[in-house]
Amino acid sequence: MKIDLTMRIKGLRLKNPVTVASGTFGTADEYAGFVNYRELGAIITKTITVKPRSGNPMPRICEVSAGMLNAIGLQNRGLEDFVEHKIPYFKKLGVPLIVSIAGESTKEFGLLAKAMGRFPSVVKALEVNLSCPNVEGGGVNFMRKQKRILDAIQAVRDNAGVLVFAKLSPELGDVLQIAEKVLAKGTDGLSLINTLRGMSVHIKKRASRIVRDFGGLSGPAIKPVALRYVYQAKKEFGVPIIASGGISNWQDAVEFLIVGADLLAVGTANFVEPMATMDILRGLKDFCRTEKIATLDALRGTYVPAEGGRKDANNECICSGA
Amino acid sequence: MVKKLFDEIVTIRENRRVNAKYRKLVFVSPELSRHVLPGQFLHVKINQGRDPYLRRPFSYYRAQKNTVEILYEVLGHGTDVLSRKKKGDSLKIMGPLGNNFKIDLKGKKRILVGGGIGVPPLVHLAERFPSDYLLMGTKSSAEVLPGNELKRVKAKILYATEDGSIGAKGFVTAPLEKIIKKENPQDLFIQTCGPKPMMLAVMAMARRYGVRGEASWDEAMACGVGACLGCMVETTEGLKRACVDGPVFNFEELVGR
Repeated sequence: MKIDLTMRIKGLRLKNPVTVASGTFGTADEYAGFVNYRELGAIITKTITVKPRSGNPMPRICEVSAGMLNAIGLQNRGLEDFVEHKIPYFKKLGVPLIVSIAGESTKEFGLLAKAMGRFPSVVKALEVNLSCPNVEGGGVNFMRKQKRILDAIQAVRDNAGVLVFAKLSPELGDVLQIAEKVLAKGTDGLSLINTLRGMSVHIKKRASRIVRDFGGLSGPAIKPVALRYVYQAKKEFGVPIIASGGISNWQDAVEFLIVGADLLAVGTANFVEPMATMDILRGLKDFCRTEKIATLDALRGTYVPAEGGRKDANNECICSGA
Repeated sequence: MVKKLFDEIVTIRENRRVNAKYRKLVFVSPELSRHVLPGQFLHVKINQGRDPYLRRPFSYYRAQKNTVEILYEVLGHGTDVLSRKKKGDSLKIMGPLGNNFKIDLKGKKRILVGGGIGVPPLVHLAERFPSDYLLMGTKSSAEVLPGNELKRVKAKILYATEDGSIGAKGFVTAPLEKIIKKENPQDLFIQTCGPKPMMLAVMAMARRYGVRGEASWDEAMACGVGACLGCMVETTEGLKRACVDGPVFNFEELVGR
Protein backbone atom coordinates (compact mmCIF):
# COMPACT_ATOMS: atom_id res chain seq x y z
CA MET A 1 0.00 0.00 0.00
CA LYS A 2 1.33 3.39 -0.96
CA ILE A 3 1.42 5.82 1.92
CA ASP A 4 1.22 9.48 1.06
CA LEU A 5 2.64 11.69 3.79
CA THR A 6 2.68 14.85 1.74
CA MET A 7 0.76 17.77 3.04
CA ARG A 8 -0.24 21.27 2.21
CA ILE A 9 -0.41 24.28 4.50
CA LYS A 10 -2.17 26.96 2.54
CA GLY A 11 0.12 27.36 -0.49
CA LEU A 12 3.05 25.48 0.99
CA ARG A 13 3.55 21.87 -0.05
CA LEU A 14 5.64 19.67 2.25
CA LYS A 15 7.00 16.18 1.77
CA ASN A 16 5.85 15.03 5.21
CA PRO A 17 4.83 16.51 8.57
CA VAL A 18 8.07 15.83 10.43
CA THR A 19 10.17 18.84 11.37
CA VAL A 20 12.38 19.99 14.22
CA ALA A 21 11.57 22.39 17.02
CA SER A 22 13.44 25.66 17.10
CA GLY A 23 16.75 25.50 18.92
CA THR A 24 17.00 21.73 19.03
CA PHE A 25 18.68 21.00 15.72
CA GLY A 26 21.73 23.20 15.79
CA THR A 27 22.23 26.10 13.46
CA ALA A 28 23.34 24.34 10.29
CA ASP A 29 24.93 20.94 9.76
CA GLU A 30 25.17 19.62 13.34
CA TYR A 31 22.91 16.66 12.57
CA ALA A 32 24.05 16.06 9.01
CA GLY A 33 25.97 12.99 10.16
CA PHE A 34 22.74 11.38 11.36
CA VAL A 35 19.85 12.80 9.39
CA ASN A 36 19.33 13.28 5.69
CA TYR A 37 17.94 16.80 5.94
CA ARG A 38 16.18 16.39 2.62
CA GLU A 39 13.92 13.77 4.16
CA LEU A 40 12.47 16.22 6.65
CA GLY A 41 9.23 17.99 5.82
CA ALA A 42 10.78 21.27 6.90
CA ILE A 43 13.46 22.64 9.19
CA ILE A 44 12.62 25.19 11.86
CA THR A 45 15.75 27.16 12.64
CA LYS A 46 17.14 28.19 15.96
CA THR A 47 15.68 31.61 16.77
CA ILE A 48 17.52 34.48 15.16
CA THR A 49 17.66 37.97 16.57
CA VAL A 50 18.75 41.18 14.86
CA LYS A 51 21.98 41.49 16.83
CA PRO A 52 24.18 38.57 17.87
CA ARG A 53 23.43 37.30 21.35
CA SER A 54 25.92 35.43 23.50
CA GLY A 55 23.22 33.90 25.68
CA ASN A 56 23.45 33.12 29.39
CA PRO A 57 26.47 31.91 31.39
CA MET A 58 26.77 28.23 32.36
CA PRO A 59 25.24 26.04 33.64
CA ARG A 60 22.50 26.41 31.12
CA ILE A 61 20.91 23.01 31.29
CA CYS A 62 19.99 20.28 33.72
CA GLU A 63 17.97 17.14 33.58
CA VAL A 64 14.64 16.91 35.39
CA SER A 65 12.03 14.14 35.43
CA ALA A 66 11.38 13.09 31.83
CA GLY A 67 12.88 16.22 30.38
CA MET A 68 15.28 19.08 30.84
CA LEU A 69 15.44 22.69 31.90
CA ASN A 70 17.32 25.09 29.70
CA ALA A 71 18.40 28.68 30.06
CA ILE A 72 20.36 29.07 26.83
CA GLY A 73 19.12 32.62 26.32
CA LEU A 74 18.71 32.75 22.53
CA GLN A 75 22.42 32.51 21.76
CA ASN A 76 22.80 33.14 18.04
CA ARG A 77 25.05 35.01 15.64
CA GLY A 78 22.42 37.47 14.56
CA LEU A 79 20.63 38.34 11.36
CA GLU A 80 23.65 39.32 9.31
CA ASP A 81 25.47 36.04 9.90
CA PHE A 82 22.28 34.10 9.21
CA VAL A 83 21.84 35.75 5.85
CA GLU A 84 25.49 35.38 4.96
CA HIS A 85 26.12 31.81 6.10
CA LYS A 86 22.97 29.91 6.96
CA ILE A 87 20.70 30.92 4.08
CA PRO A 88 23.18 29.69 1.43
CA TYR A 89 23.61 26.41 3.32
CA PHE A 90 19.89 25.69 3.43
CA LYS A 91 19.38 26.96 -0.10
CA LYS A 92 21.74 24.27 -1.31
CA LEU A 93 19.87 21.61 0.66
CA GLY A 94 16.52 22.57 -0.79
CA VAL A 95 14.60 21.85 2.42
CA PRO A 96 11.77 24.27 3.21
CA LEU A 97 12.96 26.53 5.98
CA ILE A 98 10.76 27.95 8.72
CA VAL A 99 12.78 30.71 10.33
CA SER A 100 12.19 31.38 13.98
CA ILE A 101 12.53 35.08 14.76
CA ALA A 102 12.56 37.10 17.97
CA GLY A 103 12.85 40.85 18.26
CA GLU A 104 13.58 42.93 21.31
CA SER A 105 11.16 45.52 20.03
CA THR A 106 8.27 45.74 17.60
CA LYS A 107 10.59 47.37 15.12
CA GLU A 108 13.00 44.44 15.27
CA PHE A 109 10.24 41.92 14.60
CA GLY A 110 9.36 43.88 11.48
CA LEU A 111 12.98 44.14 10.42
CA LEU A 112 13.55 40.39 10.75
CA ALA A 113 10.39 39.59 8.81
CA LYS A 114 11.38 41.95 6.04
CA ALA A 115 14.91 40.55 5.84
CA MET A 116 13.62 36.98 5.54
CA GLY A 117 11.24 38.05 2.80
CA ARG A 118 14.27 38.48 0.52
CA PHE A 119 14.75 34.70 0.29
CA PRO A 120 11.44 33.28 -0.89
CA SER A 121 13.09 30.25 -2.47
CA VAL A 122 14.37 29.08 0.96
CA VAL A 123 12.34 30.75 3.69
CA LYS A 124 8.84 29.39 3.36
CA ALA A 125 7.42 30.53 6.67
CA LEU A 126 8.24 32.46 9.83
CA GLU A 127 7.73 31.27 13.34
CA VAL A 128 7.41 34.26 15.62
CA ASN A 129 8.96 33.35 18.95
CA LEU A 130 6.85 35.25 21.44
CA SER A 131 7.56 32.99 24.36
CA CYS A 132 11.26 32.49 25.08
CA PRO A 133 11.50 32.01 28.84
CA ASN A 134 15.18 32.92 29.11
CA VAL A 135 15.62 36.49 27.90
CA GLU A 136 14.47 39.88 29.11
CA GLY A 137 13.61 42.02 26.07
CA GLY A 138 11.22 40.12 23.81
CA GLY A 139 10.99 37.16 26.18
CA VAL A 140 8.02 35.74 27.96
CA ASN A 141 8.03 38.38 30.73
CA PHE A 142 8.14 41.20 28.20
CA MET A 143 5.38 39.62 26.16
CA ARG A 144 3.03 39.20 29.05
CA LYS A 145 1.72 42.62 28.06
CA GLN A 146 -0.61 41.53 25.28
CA LYS A 147 -0.26 44.72 23.33
CA ARG A 148 3.40 43.86 22.72
CA ILE A 149 2.48 40.48 21.27
CA LEU A 150 -0.08 42.00 18.98
CA ASP A 151 2.27 44.79 17.89
CA ALA A 152 4.99 42.25 17.14
CA ILE A 153 2.59 40.11 15.10
CA GLN A 154 1.35 43.16 13.26
CA ALA A 155 4.91 44.20 12.43
CA VAL A 156 5.72 40.72 11.13
CA ARG A 157 2.49 40.51 9.14
CA ASP A 158 3.13 43.91 7.57
CA ASN A 159 6.61 42.89 6.46
CA ALA A 160 6.35 39.18 5.67
CA GLY A 161 5.21 37.79 2.37
CA VAL A 162 5.32 34.23 3.68
CA LEU A 163 3.25 32.17 6.10
CA VAL A 164 3.41 33.38 9.69
CA PHE A 165 3.08 31.13 12.73
CA ALA A 166 2.89 32.52 16.27
CA LYS A 167 4.75 30.44 18.84
CA LEU A 168 2.86 30.63 22.09
CA SER A 169 3.11 29.17 25.54
CA PRO A 170 0.80 29.09 28.54
CA GLU A 171 3.43 31.29 30.20
CA LEU A 172 1.98 34.22 28.26
CA GLY A 173 -1.45 33.89 29.80
CA ASP A 174 -4.54 32.28 28.32
CA VAL A 175 -3.24 30.58 25.18
CA LEU A 176 -6.58 30.33 23.43
CA GLN A 177 -7.48 33.93 24.09
CA ILE A 178 -4.10 35.13 22.79
CA ALA A 179 -4.33 32.77 19.83
CA GLU A 180 -7.65 34.27 18.86
CA LYS A 181 -6.17 37.75 18.90
CA VAL A 182 -3.04 36.92 16.93
CA LEU A 183 -5.11 35.07 14.35
CA ALA A 184 -7.33 38.12 14.02
CA LYS A 185 -4.15 40.06 13.14
CA GLY A 186 -3.62 37.84 10.15
CA THR A 187 -1.37 35.12 11.55
CA ASP A 188 -1.66 32.02 9.37
CA GLY A 189 -1.17 29.45 12.07
CA LEU A 190 0.02 28.63 15.57
CA SER A 191 3.07 26.91 16.96
CA LEU A 192 2.20 25.16 20.21
CA ILE A 193 3.84 25.00 22.68
CA ASN A 194 7.07 26.62 23.75
CA THR A 195 8.78 25.44 26.94
CA LEU A 196 7.10 25.93 30.30
CA ARG A 197 9.04 27.72 33.00
CA GLY A 198 10.26 25.43 35.73
CA MET A 199 12.79 25.18 38.53
CA SER A 200 15.29 22.68 39.85
CA VAL A 201 17.08 23.09 43.16
CA HIS A 202 20.50 21.79 44.13
CA ILE A 203 19.81 20.61 47.67
CA LYS A 204 23.32 21.15 49.01
CA LYS A 205 23.79 24.58 47.47
CA ARG A 206 20.12 25.45 48.03
CA ALA A 207 20.28 27.21 44.72
CA SER A 208 19.16 26.68 41.17
CA ARG A 209 20.89 23.91 39.22
CA ILE A 210 21.00 26.25 36.23
CA VAL A 211 22.23 29.83 35.93
CA ARG A 212 18.79 31.37 36.29
CA ASP A 213 16.10 30.66 38.86
CA PHE A 214 13.76 29.42 36.14
CA GLY A 215 14.43 27.62 32.90
CA GLY A 216 12.38 26.31 30.02
CA LEU A 217 11.03 22.83 30.68
CA SER A 218 10.97 20.60 27.63
CA GLY A 219 10.81 16.93 26.78
CA PRO A 220 8.24 14.18 27.48
CA ALA A 221 7.33 15.92 30.75
CA ILE A 222 5.37 18.60 28.87
CA LYS A 223 3.77 16.40 26.21
CA PRO A 224 0.30 16.12 27.80
CA VAL A 225 0.12 19.90 28.10
CA ALA A 226 1.18 20.40 24.50
CA LEU A 227 -1.27 17.80 23.27
CA ARG A 228 -4.12 19.50 25.08
CA TYR A 229 -3.35 22.93 23.63
CA VAL A 230 -2.96 21.61 20.10
CA TYR A 231 -6.29 19.83 20.45
CA GLN A 232 -8.10 22.83 21.88
CA ALA A 233 -6.64 25.32 19.42
CA LYS A 234 -7.38 23.14 16.41
CA LYS A 235 -10.94 22.59 17.55
CA GLU A 236 -11.45 26.26 18.27
CA PHE A 237 -9.80 27.86 15.25
CA GLY A 238 -9.15 25.16 12.65
CA VAL A 239 -5.88 26.84 11.60
CA PRO A 240 -2.57 25.11 10.71
CA ILE A 241 -0.66 24.09 13.82
CA ILE A 242 2.99 23.27 14.34
CA ALA A 243 2.98 20.95 17.35
CA SER A 244 5.91 20.70 19.71
CA GLY A 245 6.31 19.54 23.27
CA GLY A 246 7.83 16.19 24.06
CA ILE A 247 7.39 14.47 20.72
CA SER A 248 9.97 11.71 21.04
CA ASN A 249 8.68 8.70 19.12
CA TRP A 250 6.23 7.82 16.37
CA GLN A 251 3.46 7.04 18.83
CA ASP A 252 3.73 10.61 20.13
CA ALA A 253 3.61 11.86 16.54
CA VAL A 254 0.43 9.88 15.85
CA GLU A 255 -1.19 11.24 19.01
CA PHE A 256 -0.53 14.81 17.90
CA LEU A 257 -1.88 14.10 14.41
CA ILE A 258 -5.04 12.61 15.88
CA VAL A 259 -5.74 15.80 17.85
CA GLY A 260 -5.19 17.87 14.73
CA ALA A 261 -1.52 18.84 14.45
CA ASP A 262 -0.25 19.74 11.00
CA LEU A 263 3.50 19.78 11.51
CA LEU A 264 5.24 17.68 14.15
CA ALA A 265 8.27 19.45 15.57
CA VAL A 266 10.65 17.07 17.30
CA GLY A 267 12.60 18.95 19.94
CA THR A 268 14.51 17.72 22.97
CA ALA A 269 14.37 14.18 21.59
CA ASN A 270 16.98 15.23 19.02
CA PHE A 271 19.43 15.75 21.89
CA VAL A 272 18.85 12.21 23.10
CA GLU A 273 18.50 10.40 19.80
CA PRO A 274 20.09 12.28 16.92
CA MET A 275 18.08 10.17 14.50
CA ALA A 276 14.77 10.73 16.30
CA THR A 277 13.19 12.50 13.31
CA MET A 278 14.08 9.68 10.92
CA ASP A 279 12.84 7.03 13.38
CA ILE A 280 9.58 8.92 13.78
CA LEU A 281 9.11 9.25 10.04
CA ARG A 282 9.67 5.54 9.54
CA GLY A 283 7.36 4.64 12.43
CA LEU A 284 4.67 6.92 11.10
CA LYS A 285 4.80 5.26 7.68
CA ASP A 286 4.67 1.79 9.22
CA PHE A 287 1.72 2.78 11.37
CA CYS A 288 -0.19 4.15 8.37
CA ARG A 289 0.56 0.99 6.42
CA THR A 290 -0.60 -1.31 9.24
CA GLU A 291 -3.71 0.75 9.90
CA LYS A 292 -4.40 1.16 6.18
CA ILE A 293 -4.28 4.94 6.36
CA ALA A 294 -3.46 6.18 2.87
CA THR A 295 -3.10 9.90 3.55
CA LEU A 296 -2.50 12.03 6.61
CA ASP A 297 -5.88 13.67 6.18
CA ALA A 298 -7.46 10.35 7.05
CA LEU A 299 -5.73 10.49 10.42
CA ARG A 300 -5.50 14.18 11.25
CA GLY A 301 -8.10 15.50 13.65
CA THR A 302 -9.88 12.16 14.06
CA TYR A 303 -9.87 12.33 17.84
CA VAL A 304 -13.00 10.94 19.44
CA PRO A 305 -13.95 13.20 22.35
CA ALA A 306 -14.66 11.57 25.68
CA GLU A 307 -18.31 10.93 26.22
CA GLY A 308 -19.99 12.57 29.18
CA GLY A 309 -17.27 15.22 29.52
CA ARG A 310 -18.39 18.82 29.43
CA LYS A 311 -18.30 20.21 25.94
CA ASP A 312 -16.73 23.59 26.65
CA ALA A 313 -13.10 24.30 25.89
CA ASN A 314 -12.03 24.42 29.52
CA ASN A 315 -13.16 21.07 30.74
CA GLU A 316 -9.69 19.85 31.55
CA CYS A 317 -10.21 20.06 35.30
CA ILE A 318 -13.57 18.39 35.40
CA CYS A 319 -13.20 14.77 36.32
CA SER A 320 -15.89 12.76 34.60
CA GLY A 321 -15.39 9.91 37.04
CA ALA A 322 -14.11 6.44 36.41
CA MET B 1 32.53 19.37 10.56
CA VAL B 2 31.04 15.92 10.09
CA LYS B 3 33.12 13.21 11.68
CA LYS B 4 32.48 9.51 11.56
CA LEU B 5 30.29 8.75 14.53
CA PHE B 6 28.72 5.59 15.78
CA ASP B 7 25.64 5.07 17.89
CA GLU B 8 25.64 1.49 19.08
CA ILE B 9 23.71 -0.72 21.43
CA VAL B 10 26.39 -2.46 23.46
CA THR B 11 26.34 -5.23 26.03
CA ILE B 12 28.01 -4.66 29.37
CA ARG B 13 30.79 -7.09 30.05
CA GLU B 14 31.86 -5.69 33.38
CA ASN B 15 30.58 -3.01 35.73
CA ARG B 16 32.33 -3.07 39.07
CA ARG B 17 33.89 -1.03 41.82
CA VAL B 18 37.61 -0.38 41.38
CA ASN B 19 38.25 1.53 44.62
CA ALA B 20 36.54 3.94 46.99
CA LYS B 21 36.06 6.40 44.15
CA TYR B 22 35.84 4.76 40.80
CA ARG B 23 33.75 2.14 39.07
CA LYS B 24 34.76 0.56 35.81
CA LEU B 25 32.44 -0.20 32.93
CA VAL B 26 33.63 -2.50 30.15
CA PHE B 27 31.86 -3.27 26.89
CA VAL B 28 32.70 -4.62 23.45
CA SER B 29 32.25 -2.46 20.38
CA PRO B 30 34.61 -2.58 17.41
CA GLU B 31 33.14 0.69 16.14
CA LEU B 32 33.46 2.66 19.35
CA SER B 33 36.96 1.41 20.08
CA ARG B 34 38.44 2.24 16.69
CA HIS B 35 40.03 5.58 15.76
CA VAL B 36 39.72 6.92 19.26
CA LEU B 37 42.21 9.40 20.62
CA PRO B 38 42.69 10.28 24.30
CA GLY B 39 40.49 13.14 25.42
CA GLN B 40 37.52 12.15 23.29
CA PHE B 41 34.30 11.08 24.93
CA LEU B 42 31.26 8.84 24.66
CA HIS B 43 27.64 9.84 25.11
CA VAL B 44 25.74 7.16 26.98
CA LYS B 45 21.99 6.55 27.00
CA ILE B 46 21.83 4.72 30.30
CA ASN B 47 18.22 3.56 30.03
CA GLN B 48 16.13 3.34 26.92
CA GLY B 49 13.19 4.90 28.75
CA ARG B 50 12.83 8.37 30.21
CA ASP B 51 14.78 7.95 33.40
CA PRO B 52 17.38 9.23 32.94
CA TYR B 53 16.26 10.94 29.76
CA LEU B 54 19.36 12.72 28.51
CA ARG B 55 22.58 10.94 27.68
CA ARG B 56 25.62 11.29 29.93
CA PRO B 57 29.11 12.05 28.65
CA PHE B 58 32.07 9.93 29.80
CA SER B 59 35.73 10.08 28.80
CA TYR B 60 37.34 7.10 27.21
CA TYR B 61 39.53 5.37 29.76
CA ARG B 62 40.77 2.58 27.57
CA ALA B 63 40.03 1.52 23.98
CA GLN B 64 41.90 -1.47 22.69
CA LYS B 65 41.03 -4.03 20.07
CA ASN B 66 37.26 -4.33 20.40
CA THR B 67 36.95 -3.36 24.01
CA VAL B 68 36.13 -0.01 25.55
CA GLU B 69 36.54 0.86 29.22
CA ILE B 70 35.05 3.78 31.09
CA LEU B 71 36.02 4.80 34.60
CA TYR B 72 33.30 6.70 36.41
CA GLU B 73 32.26 7.98 39.79
CA VAL B 74 28.72 7.88 41.11
CA LEU B 75 27.94 11.58 41.36
CA GLY B 76 24.28 11.91 40.57
CA HIS B 77 21.18 10.14 39.41
CA GLY B 78 22.55 9.10 36.00
CA THR B 79 25.70 7.47 37.33
CA ASP B 80 23.72 5.92 40.18
CA VAL B 81 21.46 4.16 37.67
CA LEU B 82 24.51 3.19 35.62
CA SER B 83 26.17 1.66 38.67
CA ARG B 84 23.23 -0.73 39.06
CA LYS B 85 23.61 -2.14 35.56
CA LYS B 86 24.70 -5.76 35.43
CA LYS B 87 26.86 -7.78 33.11
CA GLY B 88 24.73 -8.58 30.06
CA ASP B 89 22.61 -5.41 30.31
CA SER B 90 22.70 -3.10 27.33
CA LEU B 91 23.45 0.59 26.85
CA LYS B 92 23.16 2.83 23.82
CA ILE B 93 26.41 4.65 23.27
CA MET B 94 27.45 7.28 20.76
CA GLY B 95 31.04 8.18 19.99
CA PRO B 96 33.79 9.00 19.63
CA LEU B 97 32.92 12.65 20.27
CA GLY B 98 34.91 15.82 20.75
CA ASN B 99 38.52 16.63 20.05
CA ASN B 100 41.57 15.01 21.60
CA PHE B 101 44.67 15.89 23.55
CA LYS B 102 47.63 16.79 21.39
CA ILE B 103 49.57 13.62 20.61
CA ASP B 104 52.76 14.90 18.97
CA LEU B 105 54.45 17.31 21.35
CA LYS B 106 57.45 17.87 19.03
CA GLY B 107 59.97 16.66 21.57
CA LYS B 108 58.54 18.42 24.60
CA LYS B 109 58.10 16.49 27.83
CA ARG B 110 54.51 15.53 28.51
CA ILE B 111 53.22 16.30 31.99
CA LEU B 112 49.77 14.96 32.72
CA VAL B 113 47.96 16.52 35.65
CA GLY B 114 44.73 14.88 36.73
CA GLY B 115 42.35 15.13 39.60
CA GLY B 116 39.21 13.24 40.54
CA ILE B 117 37.27 11.99 37.57
CA GLY B 118 39.66 13.82 35.25
CA VAL B 119 42.23 11.06 35.67
CA PRO B 120 40.84 8.43 33.22
CA PRO B 121 41.53 10.23 29.92
CA LEU B 122 45.07 11.00 31.10
CA VAL B 123 45.74 7.34 31.89
CA HIS B 124 44.43 6.58 28.40
CA LEU B 125 46.93 9.05 27.00
CA ALA B 126 49.83 7.81 29.16
CA GLU B 127 49.21 4.19 28.18
CA ARG B 128 49.24 4.85 24.47
CA PHE B 129 51.68 7.68 23.91
CA PRO B 130 55.05 8.61 25.36
CA SER B 131 54.54 10.59 28.54
CA ASP B 132 57.02 11.75 31.16
CA TYR B 133 54.97 12.49 34.24
CA LEU B 134 51.51 11.55 35.45
CA LEU B 135 50.48 13.64 38.45
CA MET B 136 47.30 12.75 40.25
CA GLY B 137 45.59 14.68 43.00
CA THR B 138 43.06 12.96 45.24
CA LYS B 139 41.56 13.35 48.67
CA SER B 140 43.29 10.28 50.12
CA SER B 141 45.05 7.03 49.25
CA ALA B 142 41.65 5.27 49.17
CA GLU B 143 40.94 7.05 45.89
CA VAL B 144 44.21 6.14 44.21
CA LEU B 145 43.87 3.74 41.31
CA PRO B 146 45.08 0.21 42.10
CA GLY B 147 48.47 -0.76 40.68
CA ASN B 148 47.11 -3.15 38.04
CA GLU B 149 45.18 -0.24 36.50
CA LEU B 150 48.40 1.70 36.05
CA LYS B 151 50.86 -1.04 35.11
CA ARG B 152 50.97 0.01 31.45
CA VAL B 153 51.75 3.60 32.28
CA LYS B 154 55.43 4.22 31.65
CA ALA B 155 55.45 7.80 32.87
CA LYS B 156 56.71 8.66 36.34
CA ILE B 157 53.67 8.66 38.60
CA LEU B 158 53.38 11.21 41.39
CA TYR B 159 50.57 11.69 43.86
CA ALA B 160 49.31 14.54 45.95
CA THR B 161 46.64 13.81 48.54
CA GLU B 162 44.73 16.28 50.66
CA ASP B 163 45.34 14.18 53.81
CA GLY B 164 48.91 13.25 52.91
CA SER B 165 48.12 9.52 53.01
CA ILE B 166 50.10 9.03 49.82
CA GLY B 167 52.52 11.26 47.94
CA ALA B 168 52.81 14.94 48.71
CA LYS B 169 50.36 16.42 51.19
CA GLY B 170 48.26 19.11 49.60
CA PHE B 171 47.38 19.96 46.07
CA VAL B 172 48.81 18.55 42.89
CA THR B 173 50.34 21.92 42.02
CA ALA B 174 53.10 21.31 44.60
CA PRO B 175 54.73 18.36 42.77
CA LEU B 176 54.00 20.12 39.50
CA GLU B 177 55.99 23.16 40.58
CA LYS B 178 58.92 20.95 41.59
CA ILE B 179 59.04 19.44 38.12
CA ILE B 180 58.76 22.79 36.39
CA LYS B 181 61.59 24.22 38.52
CA LYS B 182 63.79 21.23 37.74
CA GLU B 183 63.24 21.44 33.98
CA ASN B 184 63.35 24.11 31.32
CA PRO B 185 59.75 25.43 31.05
CA GLN B 186 60.12 25.71 27.26
CA ASP B 187 60.66 21.95 27.08
CA LEU B 188 57.45 21.05 28.91
CA PHE B 189 53.84 20.63 27.88
CA ILE B 190 51.04 20.18 30.41
CA GLN B 191 47.81 18.31 29.72
CA THR B 192 45.27 18.56 32.49
CA CYS B 193 41.83 17.26 33.31
CA GLY B 194 40.01 17.47 36.61
CA PRO B 195 37.98 19.75 38.85
CA LYS B 196 37.96 23.33 37.59
CA PRO B 197 39.67 24.85 40.67
CA MET B 198 42.54 22.38 40.13
CA MET B 199 42.82 23.17 36.42
CA LEU B 200 42.70 26.89 37.16
CA ALA B 201 45.56 26.50 39.63
CA VAL B 202 47.54 24.43 37.12
CA MET B 203 46.93 27.01 34.40
CA ALA B 204 47.94 29.89 36.67
CA MET B 205 51.17 28.09 37.51
CA ALA B 206 51.85 27.29 33.86
CA ARG B 207 51.37 30.95 32.99
CA ARG B 208 53.71 32.02 35.77
CA TYR B 209 56.53 29.81 34.51
CA GLY B 210 55.77 30.11 30.82
CA VAL B 211 54.78 26.47 30.29
CA ARG B 212 52.33 25.73 27.51
CA GLY B 213 49.56 23.23 27.75
CA GLU B 214 45.93 22.31 27.30
CA ALA B 215 42.98 21.52 29.52
CA SER B 216 39.92 19.34 29.09
CA TRP B 217 37.23 21.82 30.02
CA ASP B 218 33.64 20.71 29.97
CA GLU B 219 30.22 21.84 31.06
CA ALA B 220 26.91 20.06 31.54
CA MET B 221 25.79 19.04 28.07
CA ALA B 222 22.65 17.67 26.51
CA CYS B 223 23.23 16.72 22.88
CA GLY B 224 27.00 16.15 22.66
CA VAL B 225 27.01 17.07 18.98
CA GLY B 226 27.05 20.87 19.05
CA ALA B 227 23.35 21.58 18.71
CA CYS B 228 21.95 22.50 22.10
CA LEU B 229 24.54 25.15 23.10
CA GLY B 230 24.39 23.93 26.68
CA CYS B 231 28.13 23.46 27.15
CA MET B 232 29.62 26.76 26.00
CA VAL B 233 33.14 27.69 27.05
CA GLU B 234 34.36 31.27 27.03
CA THR B 235 37.58 31.47 25.09
CA THR B 236 39.76 34.24 23.70
CA GLU B 237 38.16 33.46 20.35
CA GLY B 238 34.64 33.80 21.69
CA LEU B 239 32.17 31.21 22.91
CA LYS B 240 32.99 27.65 21.92
CA ARG B 241 31.14 24.38 22.39
CA ALA B 242 32.89 21.97 24.76
CA CYS B 243 31.34 18.98 22.96
CA VAL B 244 32.59 19.65 19.43
CA ASP B 245 35.14 22.49 19.61
CA GLY B 246 36.55 20.91 22.79
CA PRO B 247 36.61 19.46 25.32
CA VAL B 248 40.35 20.08 24.98
CA PHE B 249 41.37 23.76 24.80
CA ASN B 250 44.77 25.43 24.79
CA PHE B 251 45.67 27.25 27.97
CA GLU B 252 46.00 30.44 25.90
CA GLU B 253 42.41 30.08 24.70
CA LEU B 254 41.24 29.85 28.28
CA VAL B 255 43.18 32.90 29.45
CA GLY B 256 41.21 35.26 31.62
CA ARG B 257 39.84 32.53 33.84
